[in-house]
Amino acid sequence: MRVRVANVATIARREYLVRARTRSFKAATIFLVVAAVLVTLAPLAVRWLDRDSTARVGVHVSTTLAFDPIARLGTTVNLPATPGGRGPFTFSAVSDPTAGRDAVAKGDLSALLDVTRDPAGALAFTIVSKDGPTLRIPTLLRQGSSVLATTDRLLRGGYPADKLDALGVPPSVVVVGPTPAKPGEPPKDLAGEIAGSLTGQALVIFLFIAIVLYGQWVAMSVAEEKSSRVMEIVLNAASPFELLAGKVLGVGALGLTQYGVAIIPAGVAILLQDRIASLLLGQTAASAAPAASGLTPPLLIAFAVLFVLGFLLYAVLYAAAGSLVSRMEDINSVVAPMTMVGMGGYLVALYTSSGLIPADAGWVVVLSFVPFVSPYLMLSRFATGLAGPLDLALASALLVVAIVACLWVAARIYAAGVLTYGQKPSARALFTAAFAHRG
Amino acid sequence: MSLQITNLRKRFGETQALDGITFGVEPGQVFGFLGANGAGKTTTMRIVLDILRADSGTVTWQGRPSTDLPRRTFGYLPEERGLYPRMQVLEQLVFFAGLYGVPRKTAAAEVRGWLARFRVPEYADRRAEELSKGNQQKIQFIAAVLHDPDVLIMDEPFSALDPVNVALLKAAFLEMRERGKTLIFSTHQMETVEELCDAVAIIDAGRLVANGATADVKRASGKRVVRLGVAGDPELPWLADLDGVRVGRAGRDYSEIEVVPPRDPETILHAAIEHGERVTRFEIADPSLEQVFVDLVGRQAAPDEERTLAHLPANGRA
Repeated sequence: MRVRVANVATIARREYLVRARTRSFKAATIFLVVAAVLVTLAPLAVRWLDRDSTARVGVHVSTTLAFDPIARLGTTVNLPATPGGRGPFTFSAVSDPTAGRDAVAKGDLSALLDVTRDPAGALAFTIVSKDGPTLRIPTLLRQGSSVLATTDRLLRGGYPADKLDALGVPPSVVVVGPTPAKPGEPPKDLAGEIAGSLTGQALVIFLFIAIVLYGQWVAMSVAEEKSSRVMEIVLNAASPFELLAGKVLGVGALGLTQYGVAIIPAGVAILLQDRIASLLLGQTAASAAPAASGLTPPLLIAFAVLFVLGFLLYAVLYAAAGSLVSRMEDINSVVAPMTMVGMGGYLVALYTSSGLIPADAGWVVVLSFVPFVSPYLMLSRFATGLAGPLDLALASALLVVAIVACLWVAARIYAAGVLTYGQKPSARALFTAAFAHRG
Repeated sequence: MSLQITNLRKRFGETQALDGITFGVEPGQVFGFLGANGAGKTTTMRIVLDILRADSGTVTWQGRPSTDLPRRTFGYLPEERGLYPRMQVLEQLVFFAGLYGVPRKTAAAEVRGWLARFRVPEYADRRAEELSKGNQQKIQFIAAVLHDPDVLIMDEPFSALDPVNVALLKAAFLEMRERGKTLIFSTHQMETVEELCDAVAIIDAGRLVANGATADVKRASGKRVVRLGVAGDPELPWLADLDGVRVGRAGRDYSEIEVVPPRDPETILHAAIEHGERVTRFEIADPSLEQVFVDLVGRQAAPDEERTLAHLPANGRA
């Protein structure tokens, strides 16, 4: 089979230019750019909107205390997240507990902290809140309650009141993983691993969307050409293989363009997020984007390689599927099996990177080399550091083999499919037809 | 040194679409490829173009198998007309020519030349979907000839054209012949075939039923046609008493009478004089191709129906 590269390029060029010119493509691209930037900046926007909002909590004390509970809470649980900012609460004294309860019921107060003393002399607390005991406000108020109780015990035991504030200085705390670092290696960075798995999840989602979306484009483009009957003119000039390859490359390049156009502003937004955050929220609003810190050059390369190979593999099959239908409405049903396989790999990859499925389970490791699902699984394993460059290289090599094999089969299905109108494609008919046509 | 089609066989499922088709087309000929619906014309054309592979048999041009020929040897106007609906005419024609290796500039100049010849220069920048069916067909004809192919294969090139455009297309055909091109086309318009074609092949149900120079094919039936005009009553009731005679066309000016051997056409003149007719016209001619076709195939060469997906035969044969 002789392939004329010039024909492939001519077909790819037409595919790219004609689609790029359509109004729907331009509109979708603009929409994607705006959506990508918005999604990227959404957490920041939420934090910015939330920067001044605090929960109002009433404090009612029905006993004698040797200290000011509101001041004490202010220097312990109500510390601001950023210097110069505010703590999570605004405390106010409440004289009537019944009125305080009503205020909570009406929503004027987020919670009421009622401080009493039991017959044994110890402080007792009641937290009135609409939130369950495990939610943030009751949890923080429980911590506050133990601070108040401890303070009360210390003062009654004779601790000097002027040294109370020094008690609140936070100790040094380090969180490390269970495996000790090897000599000469920096200590394992847990935060980095978490960031890696988050980044992995994000990239797997991007990969899945791109493959399904642009794969559908390929199928639609083939079906369109077939339903407009222009196929036969083109087939006299170019072989089905050239037509197939040109289509996949043209649509693929266009998809990459759209993806690039959408992802670059989003990437810039991610990179600038820290700066934007410090401008909006103050100097030390650090680690605004944990995903960005996991986006290392090797991971980006892995993503690019798996994206291109994964897209090619699926696009070739989507094109073959598109050639089997005569009406645009039938596309979804013929591409469904491929989408299902892709979806399987995608879900396993997502569960793996979120820890629901152990990433080092034997079957996950094996699947991460199996074409069709390897783009997703290898990406997620690579992102969490469980797979190295050699694994990536092996998975890529297997993908290339699969692409060549699928091209061979797809070009034949395509050659048979594009000239058959009005037939329900049965597997057997296809198989027979595939080997009776030129490839 | 010609286009030689030898013993082509092709089966689609239960249907034997082609059953040993053999004929040749000389270079520079205008060749009519005739058959009723489903006779196997499109399948044969697709095999010649190597869009479809035959189960057995060969196609050669100038002694080389069609599978080895450069794609630009052939120009093709398929029966299933189609253009990219949303692409500009000039742009898509340049695209088609590009697939045959024609440089963009050369192709664009050629396109403008052809559009001018078809009297539609303003269509260059229009989108295909804005054109009428007949005008789209002209564009498709241009797509088929733009790369200057040696052999032009056209499936029903005249269908959907009005008389003015049929004349334009015929003129283009003749010009292609002047340039030494070989033209093969199928049509149901037998007068057009008689007017243009040096030779014809007629196929029926996948088999060749007649082939040769147009005049030879007409004569080979053995039938003759007598055109007889008489003064007065044109009814000619005495014809009913003669064997081997059938009135094909009864008109006021003259009647066309088919004469089957062994009857000698001249006996009709004698009979007319015997019955006291005053003969104003007597002419012995070959039967029309239409008549030959009907005799051979058993029905008229009806235009192909508008193909909709629902009507297509399940085996894809046409």
